Amino acid sequence: MYRERSILHFNVADFAVAVERVADSSLARRPLIIAPPAAARSVVFDMSEEAYQAGVQKGMFLNQATRLCREATVLQPRVELYRRAMAGFLKRVQYYSPQVEHGVEDGHLFVDVTGTHRLFGPAQDVGLRVRREVRDGLGINPIWTLAGNKLVAKVSSRLVKPVGEYIVAPGEEEVFLAPLQIGLLPGVYGKELRTMGELQISTIGQLAGLSPRQLMVVFGSRASWLHGASRGHDDSMVMGGVQEAMPVDHEHCFTPDTNDRQEVEAALATLIARVGSELRARGKAARRVGIWLRYSDGNHVVRQASVKEGTCSDFGLRRLAMDALQRAWLRRTRLRSIRLVCDRLHRQSPQLTLFPETSVETRRQEKLLGAMDAIRGRYGKRVIALGRQCPDEPEPDNTDVVFH
Amino acid sequence: MLPGGGGGRGCSVLLGTCGYSYTEWVDSGFYPPSTRTADMLELYCRVFSTVELNYTWYQMARAEAVARMAAKAPGHFRFSAKLTRTMTHERDAEWPKQVQLYREGIAPLKDRLVAILVQLPPDFDRTMENRRYLAALLDGLQDLPVAVEFRHGSWATDSVFKELERRKVTLVTVDTPQLPGLFPTLDVVTNPALFYVRFHGRNMGGWRSGNMQKKFDYDYSGEELGEWRLMLDRLAHQAERGVIYFNNHVRAQAPRNGQRLQKILAGLG
Repeated sequence: MYRERSILHFNVADFAVAVERVADSSLARRPLIIAPPAAARSVVFDMSEEAYQAGVQKGMFLNQATRLCREATVLQPRVELYRRAMAGFLKRVQYYSPQVEHGVEDGHLFVDVTGTHRLFGPAQDVGLRVRREVRDGLGINPIWTLAGNKLVAKVSSRLVKPVGEYIVAPGEEEVFLAPLQIGLLPGVYGKELRTMGELQISTIGQLAGLSPRQLMVVFGSRASWLHGASRGHDDSMVMGGVQEAMPVDHEHCFTPDTNDRQEVEAALATLIARVGSELRARGKAARRVGIWLRYSDGNHVVRQASVKEGTCSDFGLRRLAMDALQRAWLRRTRLRSIRLVCDRLHRQSPQLTLFPETSVETRRQEKLLGAMDAIRGRYGKRVIALGRQCPDEPEPDNTDVVFH
Repeated sequence: MLPGGGGGRGCSVLLGTCGYSYTEWVDSGFYPPSTRTADMLELYCRVFSTVELNYTWYQMARAEAVARMAAKAPGHFRFSAKLTRTMTHERDAEWPKQVQLYREGIAPLKDRLVAILVQLPPDFDRTMENRRYLAALLDGLQDLPVAVEFRHGSWATDSVFKELERRKVTLVTVDTPQLPGLFPTLDVVTNPALFYVRFHGRNMGGWRSGNMQKKFDYDYSGEELGEWRLMLDRLAHQAERGVIYFNNHVRAQAPRNGQRLQKILAGLG
């Protein structure tokens, strides 16, 4: 039997800032930048709306950000605190549905409340109740939107930032999307967006006006997805837990800038260890590894390497990362930061192959990484590392528990 | 059509429910199996001649969406619209802007708008501050048909009724559980152009549970609805037009009770 879906999307704009403001009410309405202030080359982790209006953006260098917004207060990121706040948020939402898809500490989650009306009433009432409970219990005020799928729910939340709500009634998806700017459609970025600009496609409705065949000529294998998305079609499920497809992403800033190969490779090894450990903990393997280099003069280069069979081994990730680094690092100018992004994630298959295909060395490496993960899990992340890694940074700050 | 009405003419009474778009009404058999939300209004209009829009309480009315919805209903069909909660339950200093947005949002309903329902929260008692706010809100909604529903008993005084009468604002008649502190069921008509009745159900246990599925879970018996005939006659004698809405939406009890009352009023029940 056909059943319309009811997907709620909750999003706390500038989550880290919202949490910091709960922890210290004197920070309310003051421009805030969250970045490690000790490191001269550190980048902005998050910023308040006031700082954003002054031109500050995520990933921007802190010294540039503080020049743009001189009155801003700079705070050290407290990732553990944001995780706990997220856990508190999640706990309230999980009362209404077991199907909750969420990020790690970004205040952003999808909830599938299809079929819960007999218990909790209409979906819009659940949205409102969760918002009230989170606001009253945690002090943060999430946006909530309701639609028949994740794509439309996400687009509508982009319309009401930083606070508000939006309900898109089932059947209204296409007319809702039609007048909106094409940049609001999730999953359309960079080159694709530029191509659309060249074709004078500025609204989602204009994209929806093209047939799959017309789209195929320009966008190839993406045509079918673009055709459906522009009409508000999205069959993707709300996956329980951390967002399945969310890339794993870590960055290292050099202090001072450097073009020393040994130092760069050591930093990369540290990033690989972090990424590998996170992938294994999530039971994921990455099919693509990207290296983002930012030079002292502000230029940046991105190169990627991919494989058919995903990997979560530090050794496999290193092979891909070194390949990408070699193609990315062609200038002699000093580097300011290096970022490692692993995406195209898939589940690690629990099924063993009928005939062992892995070499003895690979099996040894797997055992070694498994042992290292177990030691880190028990005694802390810094207790063991590969020799090529650079000395690790301090443990995250665990002080000031405000959410319970 | 009920007897009476201002000037001795008959009083035209429209009957409907609070909201029409409930998935639960498909499960409960009011809508045929597999009915999509987009098709519900058309089916609803075959049974009732008016609806109270309650989604406008959750989010600000948007003109283009309201126009699309109104176009789906036949010409004779009429709408009431609940005022957004940002002007009743979650007020802040920005509320005058919200009034303006709301006026723009419901504009496409034009003369098909029966009334704007201002439902005030249970903790909105008759203090000087709240009286000032209500006066300012009604000023903001001037020139629009307005009905006010109080949930706090302190507003049940003659001076309030006189002021509503002066402003030609309808006082909503409610059917609720007999609980202390609630606004009582009264046959006071403050606007000769319109009376407005809301049946919320009489679920004593669920009323203050905070869960809508419990609060509005009630099935009126034929006897209970029959007792309303006299009350409705009295209201109809004082007004030219009336609307009656059932809010006990759980398990499609609202539309079933609405149909039951229709039969009773037609002398068939």
